Amino acid sequence: MVIDLDRCTGCQACVVACQAENNLPVNTKDLFLQRRAYEWIRIERYWEGEFPDVKARFIPIMCQHCENAPCEPVCPVFATYHNDEGLNVQIYNRCVGTRYCANNCPYQVRFFNYWEPVWPERLRNQLNPDVTVRSRGIMEKCTFCVQRIRRAEVTIERRERATLDHAAMKKRNFLPACVSACPTNALNFGDQLDATGPVKEIFDDVNDHPMHEAHDRKTRGYRLLEEIGTKPNLLYLKKVDRFPLNKSEAHVS
Amino acid sequence: MNLTRRNFLAWAGLSAVGAVACEGFGIREGEFSLQSPVSLPEDLVRGKDNWYATLCRTCPSSEGIVVRVMEGRAKKIQGNPLYPTNQGKQSARCEGGLQAMYHPERLAGPMRRSGGRGSGQFEPLDWPAALDIFKVQLQQNGDNMLMVTEPLRGHMAKLVDRFAKAMGGKHLAFDGMDNIAYRAAVKNVFQQDSLPDFDIANTNFLLSFGADFLSTWVSPTRWAVGYGEFRQGEGRERGTFYQVDSRFSTTAASADQWVPIKPGWEGYLALSLAYVIISEGLQAPGVDVSALTDGRGVGALDAFRPEVAGARIGLPDHLRGETPTEFIQNLAREFAGHRPSLAIGGGSAGAHTNGLFNLEAIYALNYLVGSVGAEGGVRFNPAPPIDDLPASADVASLSDWFSAAEDLNGGRTKLVVVHQADPAHGLPGALNFRDALNRDDLFIVSLSPFIDDTSALADLILPDRVALEDWGSDIPEPGPGYQTLGVQQPVVNPLSDLDPRSSADVLLAMAGELGKQSDLPWNRFEDMLRETSKQLFDLNRGSIKAGSADEFWTTMLQQGGWWDENAKAAVPLDTPAGLFNKIAAKAAEPRYPGLAPGRDTFHLVPFSHISLLDGQNAHLPWLQAVPDPITTVAWQTWLEINDGDAERMGLREGDVVMVSSTASSSIRVPVYPHPGVPPKVVSIPLGQGRRDGPETATDRPAAESSNVMDILEPSQVEGTGALAWANTTVTIIPTGTSIKVSKFEGIVRAIEVGNTEAERIIITEIPGEH
Repeated sequence: MVIDLDRCTGCQACVVACQAENNLPVNTKDLFLQRRAYEWIRIERYWEGEFPDVKARFIPIMCQHCENAPCEPVCPVFATYHNDEGLNVQIYNRCVGTRYCANNCPYQVRFFNYWEPVWPERLRNQLNPDVTVRSRGIMEKCTFCVQRIRRAEVTIERRERATLDHAAMKKRNFLPACVSACPTNALNFGDQLDATGPVKEIFDDVNDHPMHEAHDRKTRGYRLLEEIGTKPNLLYLKKVDRFPLNKSEAHVS
Repeated sequence: MNLTRRNFLAWAGLSAVGAVACEGFGIREGEFSLQSPVSLPEDLVRGKDNWYATLCRTCPSSEGIVVRVMEGRAKKIQGNPLYPTNQGKQSARCEGGLQAMYHPERLAGPMRRSGGRGSGQFEPLDWPAALDIFKVQLQQNGDNMLMVTEPLRGHMAKLVDRFAKAMGGKHLAFDGMDNIAYRAAVKNVFQQDSLPDFDIANTNFLLSFGADFLSTWVSPTRWAVGYGEFRQGEGRERGTFYQVDSRFSTTAASADQWVPIKPGWEGYLALSLAYVIISEGLQAPGVDVSALTDGRGVGALDAFRPEVAGARIGLPDHLRGETPTEFIQNLAREFAGHRPSLAIGGGSAGAHTNGLFNLEAIYALNYLVGSVGAEGGVRFNPAPPIDDLPASADVASLSDWFSAAEDLNGGRTKLVVVHQADPAHGLPGALNFRDALNRDDLFIVSLSPFIDDTSALADLILPDRVALEDWGSDIPEPGPGYQTLGVQQPVVNPLSDLDPRSSADVLLAMAGELGKQSDLPWNRFEDMLRETSKQLFDLNRGSIKAGSADEFWTTMLQQGGWWDENAKAAVPLDTPAGLFNKIAAKAAEPRYPGLAPGRDTFHLVPFSHISLLDGQNAHLPWLQAVPDPITTVAWQTWLEINDGDAERMGLREGDVVMVSSTASSSIRVPVYPHPGVPPKVVSIPLGQGRRDGPETATDRPAAESSNVMDILEPSQVEGTGALAWANTTVTIIPTGTSIKVSKFEGIVRAIEVGNTEAERIIITEIPGEH
């Protein structure tokens, strides 16, 4: 996935779309007060400056699906592992809730079910049958909507014997829920090897120019906390601002 | 059996899986399958999913959506990729439609009041009995009827208008933050009856005054799609965006430059920009300045010279190191020099006593840069394809509500029929509309599927179907620049334990029984839509190619509507002679009734909540749980105050203050200080503060969930009668109590920006660096 920070307006459409798709329990007021509300994708807001020279910056943060994922080696029961498509996957019925993975995640995107999720009787009708409801004591996180990717593979590749490229993913509604919701198209999803998709060029550029050569990159791509070497499969495109508050702080390539 | 490690694990695993699958959640066995590493994914889920196109009704812009339906249950809402306005995208509000349908506190069937008015005591009754009561009331009091609905367009607007007329009653559409002043400005400046679209995707320089167009204003999803292209569209230079606003809104946060301005002075800034453009000859080629100013040229705007205006409009002294005068001059040069440029205005800019002047001055700027009807500018919409379908939501103004309240108090209105509108909650407290409804000689019929403040006062409740179960249509306003008709179809049936009935069908049935067939000759709402479908088929143009009227109808339902990309508005518009003279002659300062702005008072700039809007979505749990983008607060009301002001008053986050104006009462709100609020200005979102209804809307103490409408001064935008909702001055008194703010911020460990290279997570660059 590639997230363009210059397009993001912080509108929260992705957040609600994710909650609807992935059967996240409603974040009640009590959960907010207990500091246990969670969102698989969240919009973080950062302040810069003071009135009147003030900016608010938004960044959507979700599981970065790291190539060198710090959460994986610490799981005693192999509930989290790396699949052959590069997704960092969580197997709910293996998880025993040690929370080591959340502890080791530098991006704070793993969430623990401190409570049994509760839906009023009637609201359960809306739950997505493709997605397991996680019970108390289970760790969960963004899956890149793996259920949609699976459906795409089954429907397009196996049943229809067609090529699963970005156009097919988009046309047949198989892109992750956040990506398909995003009004400004700030979120883009695709196979890093699919030249027809929107992400290959940016991934190639960032992969070809590791951090110490970042100034040679031709795109605005960068990885979050690149220096800790987790190698996320999620790239950000730098925010562009004509009038950054402190020009020396703005990244000048 | 020996309890070996292997046995233990096997048994433990089996029993855990069994428990989870069968009863862990009290869910029918097989309703959910556990994710399994061995089964094929297609084995996991029973049923096939279908996506049906329809319309979203959780915000007034009515996005085209597709709904995923499996085994008779709606599962997910997404934007309809074919629909011309939102182009497959959605807002955070759209998903709320699902929760409206499966809400635990939805009304199951008709109910009659059994206790005192407003006591909340109702007894159920069956539909025939309920409709009989309604019929008798219409027979007796139809000509003294007041119908109150949400803003309506398309077939429902036509039906309600005709129904009210046939019965001899009145119809008022309720909108908490109406666009009456904006509509009037569009009419005066562009001579257009319907609201224009903005071609943001092709604009180079975007100058917005007060319009929160990326969040809640008019058609945010459509404009957000354009905004994405405006920023990083392929093959174009990145656009520049200035937001002039008395509040740091979500939209302002996305701007390259936020220009804080004294509330209500936007028009002076706009004319000052016009002055610079005309005096320096920066207008677009072909623009007839002489005609626009009746031959007076820059002399027509002499009162708005940057040196004069700059001192009055409250720009900070050194915004980006420039004096106000320099800032205005540079902004005008940029605006005129980076064409196509676009000026839009709305929201708080139009919600002052001088709001009409502000908006007219803002939109007139588009003539100077040649953006009227041009690419990257203001785009107009044609008349609707069918003549008698209302394409604009005609909304009642504050003066309409005043006279409605007088009629109620004077006993002249005897029957009130409310359809999905909540005036008792959403009108300014000073109107006392709640009290006006609380009369014994009045009969109130509510058609709402939920209890809200107005329905709680009702004598009879006839619950409507929710949007996903009902027919409907919409002519989007603004449209995409060509004729469009969106169609809403029932994608699922109501659950078996619910017995709602479509309000449109109820009204048609009543009209039939009372012998009004000549006005409303349809048996069912669906027939009305089918008739239009036939008319569109006969037009033989547009997005649907069909051999028969039936095929046309089916295709229209599949696509979510009909549109004709060739049916555009004629580019009209001769240069309006003397436009700037007229606007300059209208120039007026904002007048604040009630408390004079002073040392201990603050301007109150309310705003529409990003997901709850004016409160219409307050019962939907997901939308209550959406953190506000700026403050990250959810489930509560809050007061935004400048962090310096807060420090001076000794206020910290969560401290409850009493906010009072001279209008009626005061409210208590927790404060949220942040650096983006201009000093001497405070903001409170609309949406909370419901007294009656589902727990999700009402289960919080008053200080956490107060209604800012209660304290607004009931002043009007001059020349329109609309509510000037940004026109209140308030005093703020700490109460000494404090609550914990329910917010998302701080739940996850935030990584600070910019302290060291490694800690910087949002990297910013200046355009042109790549």
